[in-house]
Amino acid sequence: MPALSTSTPSRAKRPASAAAPRPGGYAGQLLRVNLTTGKIWSEPWSPEDMRELIGGVGLGARILYREVPVHVHWDHPENRLVLATGPLAGLPVWGTGGLTVVTRGAGTDGPTSTQANGFFGANLKYSGYDAVIVQGASRKWVYLHIHDDVVELRDASHLVGKDTWQTQDLLSAEYGLSGHQLSVYSIGPAGEGLVRFAAIQGDYGHVASKNGCGAVMGKKKLKAVAIVRGTHGLAAADPRGLVQAADDIGHDLRTDPTARSLYEYGTLPGVVNLHKLGMLPIKNYTTNVSPVDLGPWEARQLREGFDHRGHQCNACGMHHCHMQVIRSGPHKGTLVDEPEYEGWSGAGWTIGATDPQAVSWLNTELDRAGLDVNEFGWLCGWVMECVEKGYITRAQLGFDLRWGDVEGARKLVDLIVHRRGLGALLAEGVKRAAEKLGPPAQDCAVYTLKGAVPRGHDHRARWHEMLDTITSGTSTLETGNPVHPTEVGVPARVDPFDGVAVAKMVAGLRGRLGFEDSLGICIFTTRTRLENLCRALGAATGWSYTVDEAIRFGRRTGAILRACSLRCGITPATEYPSTRYASIPVDGPAKGQSIAEQWGKMLDTWYAEVGYDRKTGKPLPATCKALGAEWLAKELWGRSR
Amino acid sequence: MGTVAVEVVSWVTKFVGGDGSGRKMFEEPIVPGATVRSVLEGLSTRYPELHAALWEGRELGEHIEVLVNDAVLGIAHTLESPLRPGDRLALLGQFMGG
Repeated sequence: MPALSTSTPSRAKRPASAAAPRPGGYAGQLLRVNLTTGKIWSEPWSPEDMRELIGGVGLGARILYREVPVHVHWDHPENRLVLATGPLAGLPVWGTGGLTVVTRGAGTDGPTSTQANGFFGANLKYSGYDAVIVQGASRKWVYLHIHDDVVELRDASHLVGKDTWQTQDLLSAEYGLSGHQLSVYSIGPAGEGLVRFAAIQGDYGHVASKNGCGAVMGKKKLKAVAIVRGTHGLAAADPRGLVQAADDIGHDLRTDPTARSLYEYGTLPGVVNLHKLGMLPIKNYTTNVSPVDLGPWEARQLREGFDHRGHQCNACGMHHCHMQVIRSGPHKGTLVDEPEYEGWSGAGWTIGATDPQAVSWLNTELDRAGLDVNEFGWLCGWVMECVEKGYITRAQLGFDLRWGDVEGARKLVDLIVHRRGLGALLAEGVKRAAEKLGPPAQDCAVYTLKGAVPRGHDHRARWHEMLDTITSGTSTLETGNPVHPTEVGVPARVDPFDGVAVAKMVAGLRGRLGFEDSLGICIFTTRTRLENLCRALGAATGWSYTVDEAIRFGRRTGAILRACSLRCGITPATEYPSTRYASIPVDGPAKGQSIAEQWGKMLDTWYAEVGYDRKTGKPLPATCKALGAEWLAKELWGRSR
Repeated sequence: MGTVAVEVVSWVTKFVGGDGSGRKMFEEPIVPGATVRSVLEGLSTRYPELHAALWEGRELGEHIEVLVNDAVLGIAHTLESPLRPGDRLALLGQFMGG
């Protein structure tokens, strides 16, 4: 394909402030792409900024705050799409192909941070860049091709309408490259159709899925980013120390009683575990009791029930990611990506589907179409319930859609991505669609008032995730699940239905995830002690980095994203779950537990603990100061404070 | 005298001689005054890997969730709660992923 815009980005001089040598682990350049003008350039970033922002969501949050003002909504050309790695990407620590996407997303029209893996991060770093920052919008469909110093915007007209796997197949064939030699992250028909929960999918099964980042890419008419594995050198400041830290992390993952299940089976144990705790969402939160024997849903059976092989990300030693071949049913012989727990949930249990073969197929169909599997699950489950109750008719849909009907769900995908009939409304996401239909249909929908949706769990038995989802500045979890909580002074366990204790736990854990998502490393290989991650970062960069500094960094990033959220109109008034999301489970282990009754005091506790103003939602001046962000306090509260 | 059923679920079966799937059932005899703690200690004494995963000193560590009669420990029961014949315990691996 001819290049529309070819550039060997000029390597600008380092700024005067950057007299200090570049830390190890960094490529040292940010790649800027303006799709309106076709201009491509690189800019250095200073060692001081590297220390303050690290990479990933830390870097992205700063760019979003500085460069996306209030009037630049998700679909404005000047919205930024930040595709960032981090200092560990490309280095020999497990799972270092990490990509963090930061943008103002289509779901909430607010800030987004969403991660994927594969090889993107490594390939980009080896080409000489720490991040790609896309602005502007193209008039014609293009894709970005990066091969060391040659960066091109190329005609993507032949890719339009192709799904994400087809797009990668076609580009791989064009360049004669396969496997990790070419990392391709693209949007499918969903992103092209500006579906508000469109995702960016890459390297056959890795998805930056949250908050409609794929719609942002579609609005810019950027079909794909294709990065050849570059040839630039990438060095750690202390190679021996890095290898030692990587070995310690690997040892921890192999031997820690909890992480070991992740090491062997990835997230497959989730279905059985979460069902036992009442956290498996079945049929759109209408039950928590499986109607079928869960034997085939054990981790080992989920893996060995398919022909499978490992599909590891960059430098990874986990037995996590796999490819599968469907063994039975109408799609027998089809190659698919082994679903994560989220896939088994969103493409399965949430919609009442209990055949692993069918669910696995639908999960990959969603990846190929470029849809977030979580929001699709909530949307499809809601439609199925509405059909059952007569709130949506067969005539409106054009076909019948009953609980567990995977083939029908696939028809719904087509309806949505092409915005046909009712699909035009459903493409706006579950919150907007439910609000449009109004009660009683609206009362059945699972969403947050911000416009985001939960991940694939029943949060009525997992209160910490509901609180985190709703108070987050990323549109999805900002704090995440407890990982070695005692390392940061949080109790190993709290009563899951004590709202105050849960809120204190969520507040106490804040910071870790923001730190992890800035490193350029997979979230699953960071299931180790923070001290190990800090040691790896220190060995990579040459910095002395402490656990306290990591937590402070993550919380500072959270405060910046909170400021972005407020600017986007996402205020404390939106921090509530929908009626169904906060309903009382009617059966299962959490039967009768009511989060709604405790929601107010949970918010009060959380705000007090994190140091944000309860009324305005702003991080308090003292909080900003403690986090090393006095500049943010001045901007939020004025200089007189 | 009587017994308490202890269900070891899925991944945790690895620590009691299983393959990490399915479930293993134990009928633990109890005497008057038996508590959640004494039953768990009785079982984990026989399985060192379970002991290492279950306890952090005298308290439960972060790796295994304990359910008493289908409710997470801490809601209606503590480690010191008495158990009666016919009560049920379940040991479930903490889940970091997903």
